[in-house]
Amino acid sequence: MAFARNKLLIAAVAVVALLLPLLLQRHYVDVMVFAGLYGIAGLGVALLLGQCGIVSLGQAFFYGIGAYSSAYLCVTLGLSPIFGIVVGAALSALIAFIIGWPILRLTGFFLALATLAIGMIGGILFYEWDWLTGGTLGIGGIPTLSLFGFELNTPQRYYYFVWAIFLVAIWLSHNLVTGRAGLAMRAMRDAPPAAEALAVDMHALKTKIFVLCAVLGSLAGSLFAHYATYVSVQSFTVERSIIFLLIPVIAGAASVWGTIIGALFVALAPELLSGLGDAHQVLFGLALVLVVTLLPEGIVGLPKLVMKRFGA
Amino acid sequence: MSPAPVTAKSARLVLDVQGVAHRFGGLRVLEDVNIAAPESQIVGLIGPNGSGKTTLFNIITGFIRPRSGTVSVNGRDVAQDSIQQRSRDGLLRTFQTPKVFDHMTVLENVMMGMHAHTSSGVLATMFAMPSARRELASTRASALQTCERFGIAHLAATRAGELPAGLRRVVELARAHQAKPKLLLLDEPSSGLSGPEIDTLRGWIRVFASEGTTVLLVSHDMGLMDVCDVVNVLYFGRVIATGPMAAIRDDQKVRDAYLGAA
Amino acid sequence: MSWGLFWQAMLSGITNSFVYALIGIGLAVIFKGTKVINAMQGEFAVVGGIVTVFALQAYGVPYFPAALIGIAAGALLGLIVDILFVRPMMRRKAGEESFLLLTIGLAFTISAGLLYFVGRDSYLLPGIGGSGVVEMFDAFIPVHSYWLVGISVVVVILLRLFYTYSLTGLAMAATSIDPIGAATNGINVTLMRTYTFALGGAVGALAGILVAPLVSVNYHMGIALTLKGFAAAILGGLANPIGAVVGGLVIGISEALAVIGISSGYKDIAAMTVMIIVMIVMPNGILGRAGRRGG
Repeated sequence: MAFARNKLLIAAVAVVALLLPLLLQRHYVDVMVFAGLYGIAGLGVALLLGQCGIVSLGQAFFYGIGAYSSAYLCVTLGLSPIFGIVVGAALSALIAFIIGWPILRLTGFFLALATLAIGMIGGILFYEWDWLTGGTLGIGGIPTLSLFGFELNTPQRYYYFVWAIFLVAIWLSHNLVTGRAGLAMRAMRDAPPAAEALAVDMHALKTKIFVLCAVLGSLAGSLFAHYATYVSVQSFTVERSIIFLLIPVIAGAASVWGTIIGALFVALAPELLSGLGDAHQVLFGLALVLVVTLLPEGIVGLPKLVMKRFGA
Repeated sequence: MSPAPVTAKSARLVLDVQGVAHRFGGLRVLEDVNIAAPESQIVGLIGPNGSGKTTLFNIITGFIRPRSGTVSVNGRDVAQDSIQQRSRDGLLRTFQTPKVFDHMTVLENVMMGMHAHTSSGVLATMFAMPSARRELASTRASALQTCERFGIAHLAATRAGELPAGLRRVVELARAHQAKPKLLLLDEPSSGLSGPEIDTLRGWIRVFASEGTTVLLVSHDMGLMDVCDVVNVLYFGRVIATGPMAAIRDDQKVRDAYLGAA
Repeated sequence: MSWGLFWQAMLSGITNSFVYALIGIGLAVIFKGTKVINAMQGEFAVVGGIVTVFALQAYGVPYFPAALIGIAAGALLGLIVDILFVRPMMRRKAGEESFLLLTIGLAFTISAGLLYFVGRDSYLLPGIGGSGVVEMFDAFIPVHSYWLVGISVVVVILLRLFYTYSLTGLAMAATSIDPIGAATNGINVTLMRTYTFALGGAVGALAGILVAPLVSVNYHMGIALTLKGFAAAILGGLANPIGAVVGGLVIGISEALAVIGISSGYKDIAAMTVMIIVMIVMPNGILGRAGRRGG
């Protein structure tokens, strides 16, 4: 009964999602594209936070690596976009491994602040290495993507493309967290000594998820570069990392499907609040603080909390 | 001049601790400790607080590396191996306060017991390769059987963190049973359990031994020690007596050192 | 590079190191009292600095009272943060990562709030002892730097005395070491935690007021200050104010060397890299930790 109702709900959401670009103004389709892009990057952070209990504040670094790889290889070297995407992902994976192997021995606050420091170092390097990144001027003229000869040159087309990738990524993550590796990840988050006693190689597992998170960030960055056709340092600051972190926090980190809600929130909330000018950022920050203080399981946990307090 | 261990029997030794010594700073906590556990036997380790039990336990499980001596599991010295290496070799421990995975269901907890016996990697799991799906399905089926055997099948979908202490211990034992260890180390398994629960515990310990698992039982609960084939008494870092519980009870040294004190 | 420029960079690095030490001490105060790493410690400094600037320049309050108002603002902010956010989370026994998310979120909010209220400008305070300079090793050091170092040292000593001799200080220390034991001895644990946050806020604000005459303060600098202060604090082992001073010196001098050796753009990279390496290689800080964990 409940299952059938769920199915109906999912079908309804799917129909709305498919029709959305036809119904919305161009500007809002654009916002939805960003929701998808941020969602892909945020999904990586969600895997670290929700499954491993690791707070990553450096995702914008890998987002930047993906974006600059695409921009540099396409614009400066004139290569096909696929090279930029693949090189970005491979480079991010390599860097994540080199950084992750040592720092993932740290835990809690220390690890989180180490990722924050890495995010800041990344931001500074993007700025200083202007021969590569164009610095504050950035790199323009990045070509749009085309899929089997089909140009993804309008927000509507890109909407379908990005959300398809986002949903596939969620599906893969869903498989991961419900499978053997996911059980081991949650086990080591809940009781590290017991997980270790059961032969879980915690350090290797954390490193793998850290690399996976970086690859998702890089992919999102590449897709961003080909959509915006222009990248500059402003897009890869620590604030952006915090926004990526917000996605799982808002939605409730334990659920990979929840990242959809988180992604919609971080993309739409500033739009809805933008009438308030600069004050919208304050409200955005307050939203984060209030969710952390009042909703330990995020928006996804809200119905349960309400039930507990008022219902049955 | 160490007490003669029960190695005279022809049974293969699953655990063989030889001449282990350890100190913290200037404080000697263990000195020339020898303990042997033949295959499928239940071996006890008792001693008053501060006798070095916990240190010895941590040395065997790998949380501490001993200053000297060897710890052999199945004839191989593992004294310098990591905890994971030991667990891959079939050594498994439980904890004084049962460490279950609070946010995972009882079934998932028991499934974790299979971790060392399964092999699906991150990518195979992500892309739902047939091999990974098959492995997961068989892990689940097997874990469900274990849950039934331990009488917790009706709780399979409950989060382990919501269970009372006694049931958490059962979940931990079921998980250990699922792991099919060669050597099971139980650290004060009766702590926090009621009388009837301890009787059930005794039964499970026998089941482990009857199915080929060697058990090392560390406890100060004399009542529980009845289940052991051999008991070692640790006192101020030395093994002062080794033998069946009945003999240990009559040993004058043990009476002076331990029973008298209790 | 001439010796004059070398010393100029080194001495300004050493001056900065005391600012990092003060931020680090504020972090350590809060960590000691609550076991929370406060990722908005740098915002206390920014708020303290900007409030002092406005008191002084917009409302014409004299220098010394204006600084006191700035410090009070930091303390008040700490108080509010504790009462509104930390208390409810402590009550539900939230995990480490929740407190980190909370303080990161607060840092983000306060930074955005400052942007809204005071804009993107940088605010400069006049130096204590005027804007004069003193020559030393062919380099020119602002008089204010001497005050900064002197005041920092006094604060370190006062904090040490406070925790060793005053009843409140002892109660605050006891609360962090053994909350349940402290509670059974009649210490109001919740109140002590509030005091701890207020004290951390005050020390943070002082750091901001002292740094404002040298590099000016803006809405955006909090997070970098937090990280460098954290670097100083963990270098010092996170519990020890003198350690934080030593840690601050390591960070300040690393920055100076990066400025001398590469370029000023790499200053922060040097500080962050040193921090990461120290966390991995020397988890107990450069001074080590006195006692082992028992058990």
